[in-house]
Amino acid sequence: MNDITNMKKFYSLLYPDWNSAIDQLLANYLIYGPIKTDDSIDYEIVHSENIAEVSYNIPKPTTPLKTFFLPVKENLTTKISSISKRIIIGTPNCDIQGLKILDEIYLDKDYIDTAYKEKRENTILISSSCFETQEHCHCMIYGIQPFSKEIADISISRVDTRMHLEVLSEKGENFISELKNYAAVSNSPESEIKDIELKQSKIENEIIANNSGLPDYKKTGKIVQKAKEEIWNKYSSKCVSCGACATICPTCSCFLLIDKPNFEKVRQLDTCQYPGFERVAGGEDALGELPKKFKNRYFCKYVWKPQKFKSLVCTGCGRCIEACIGKINKNELFRELAN
Amino acid sequence: MSENKNIYKPIKAKLLEVITESPTIKTFIMEPEEEFSFKTGEFIELTVDGIGEAPFTPSSSPLETKQIEVTVMKTGYVTEYLHNMKAGETLGIRGPFGRGYPIEKFYDKEVLILGGGCGFAPIRSLLYNLVAISDKLRKVTLCYGSKTPDECIYQPYVDQLRKTPKFEVLRTVDEPNESWSESVGVATVLLDKVKVDIKNSIAVCCGPPIMMKFGTYKLLEMGYPENDIFLSMEKNMSCGLGKCGHCMMGKYFVCKEGPVFTYDEIKDQPDIWS
Ligand SMILES: Cc1cc2nc3c(=O)[nH]c(=O)nc-3n(C[C@H](O)[C@H](O)[C@H](O)COP(=O)(O)OP(=O)(O)OC[C@H]3O[C@@H](n4cnc5c(N)ncnc54)[C@H](O)[C@@H]3O)c2cc1C
Ligand code: SF4
Ligand code: SF4
Ligand code: SF4
Ligand code: FES
Repeated sequence: MNDITNMKKFYSLLYPDWNSAIDQLLANYLIYGPIKTDDSIDYEIVHSENIAEVSYNIPKPTTPLKTFFLPVKENLTTKISSISKRIIIGTPNCDIQGLKILDEIYLDKDYIDTAYKEKRENTILISSSCFETQEHCHCMIYGIQPFSKEIADISISRVDTRMHLEVLSEKGENFISELKNYAAVSNSPESEIKDIELKQSKIENEIIANNSGLPDYKKTGKIVQKAKEEIWNKYSSKCVSCGACATICPTCSCFLLIDKPNFEKVRQLDTCQYPGFERVAGGEDALGELPKKFKNRYFCKYVWKPQKFKSLVCTGCGRCIEACIGKINKNELFRELAN
Repeated sequence: MSENKNIYKPIKAKLLEVITESPTIKTFIMEPEEEFSFKTGEFIELTVDGIGEAPFTPSSSPLETKQIEVTVMKTGYVTEYLHNMKAGETLGIRGPFGRGYPIEKFYDKEVLILGGGCGFAPIRSLLYNLVAISDKLRKVTLCYGSKTPDECIYQPYVDQLRKTPKFEVLRTVDEPNESWSESVGVATVLLDKVKVDIKNSIAVCCGPPIMMKFGTYKLLEMGYPENDIFLSMEKNMSCGLGKCGHCMMGKYFVCKEGPVFTYDEIKDQPDIWS
């Protein structure tokens, strides 16, 4: 056995064996994976009949990973008997990295959010390396590689007829042990690991080339801070405050507590792009005017939260650009500011 | 904090008494069913069952641990329901949250307090605390302004304070009536009347945003250093825990890093007065 292989803990198995192992794992886990439909690709619940439809090594599914940990609506006071163990397959690294800021906020040791924590603990994350990229992907510009080396438990890649699983955590290690009950698992040959790494670096270069001229995270923060009001007026003029940009963003984490009888609290995801987010008694609203509200999202992500948290608050996934019905492209704004 | 505690679940508190302070302000005296204590300036999230939750800074003494009081101005949805509640009913409490007043920093100092409207609520809690440690303080001056004499709350407490050594109370109203014998004008006019040794003094400011803004400017003009002015900030809040994002004021979660800040800490953040 080669030293590097040993250190990196790459395991491999045949694709049909992987699929039949998943079928068996369905007895113990709720499994999600990205499945293509006519016009999109999104997470679906995996069952015996659709296992072969799960896509690997493709860019981001429509739904951000955060939705698995922060559902749109959730009762926080009535205890659901016990949360089922889950496996999420096929998450690209941008979304995996997006969990970092959510973890910083929701697992803050002063106030641990147990609803979030339980879901994090009960979920095995099998990230997949991107072997393709999409028009608006710009992870590399913010220092995020299109493959996982942390946070996820396993990083998976499909090469021809074989699946390669790189172990990234103890949970991942345990998953491999479990997998061995259902399939013949061996160490990946070095030639195939090299092959994966080649694909990975090819994509890295492609993403960088696709985004030439786009400022990095630090620089973006600086130019956002210095931007004149005209910029915000101009770009916000097409904004209809639908909130899609924040709703679909893997790192937007805001919510509102709603009261139900018997002192129950329901968490509903919320965004600063909706009306009244900062309204106080007497009607005063710091985000009352559209340009201010629009600008708030940029300052939150590139200026304020970076002063407070270690994690990135934009992963460069590009979803907000794709989702905006006003066709507002934040990267056009940044390019304009950078020049 | 215990790892498995549900941070969103309120503890129940029995409403013991409701005191009408003014046509729009009431004080609610509650007895929490579980042990509950707070430091002055920290706030609670108060739940009206099935209706909603809103942040309030207790107006009672932090040294009193059996009962807790909040003084609430009727301004909207939740506060309207609250104002209709009667003794015997049950409320919910989460907290205490945030960072209150750093009382130790007031030792050996003169404390100048500027308050307006319902801002007297947290200030009363602070005053209870200051009275208890008055041997450690030089002097405490409260400058309090309200719209009308009718809206001047806590009259019995003001009378009591005026008899307490080292404590002085100056009051003003915007619209006086015949029986009003104290100052007239906005709260900041009182600052022209106080004699303070600024070098050995700290200032506390709590009230409506407009008063906080002009009060702070006036205090700066008087020569108070930016880090000796303590402001109690009010922002929209939902969770109180530094998670929901509603209270963000630039880089701060006001609920967790505040609500009490020095002017120095927040002066470069956006929209601090709105
Ligand atoms: C730290 C802190 C301490 C406070 N202490 C006191 C006090 O001691 N006494 C007192 O009378 N008031 C106090 N307030 C203000 C009080 O919380 C608001 O008056 C109250 O939230 C208004 O609720 P409402 O539903 O009646 O008003 P509405 O205007 O109907 O509010 C609707 C919604 O807007 C939001 N909202 C509106 N105003 C505020 C606000 N000022 N702060 C937070 N959220 C708001 C809430 O989400 C609320 O559910 C304090 C506020 C903060 C932030
Ligand atoms: S701001 Fe846009 S590009 Fe950045 S993480 Fe959110 S959705 Fe993705
Ligand atoms: S951008 Fe808006 S919705 Fe997103 S995390 Fe920041 S405040 Fe919340
Ligand atoms: S998606 Fe576009 S239109 Fe909708 S709130 Fe965001 S910027 Fe505005
Ligand atoms: S009130 Fe939720 S973060 Fe401050």
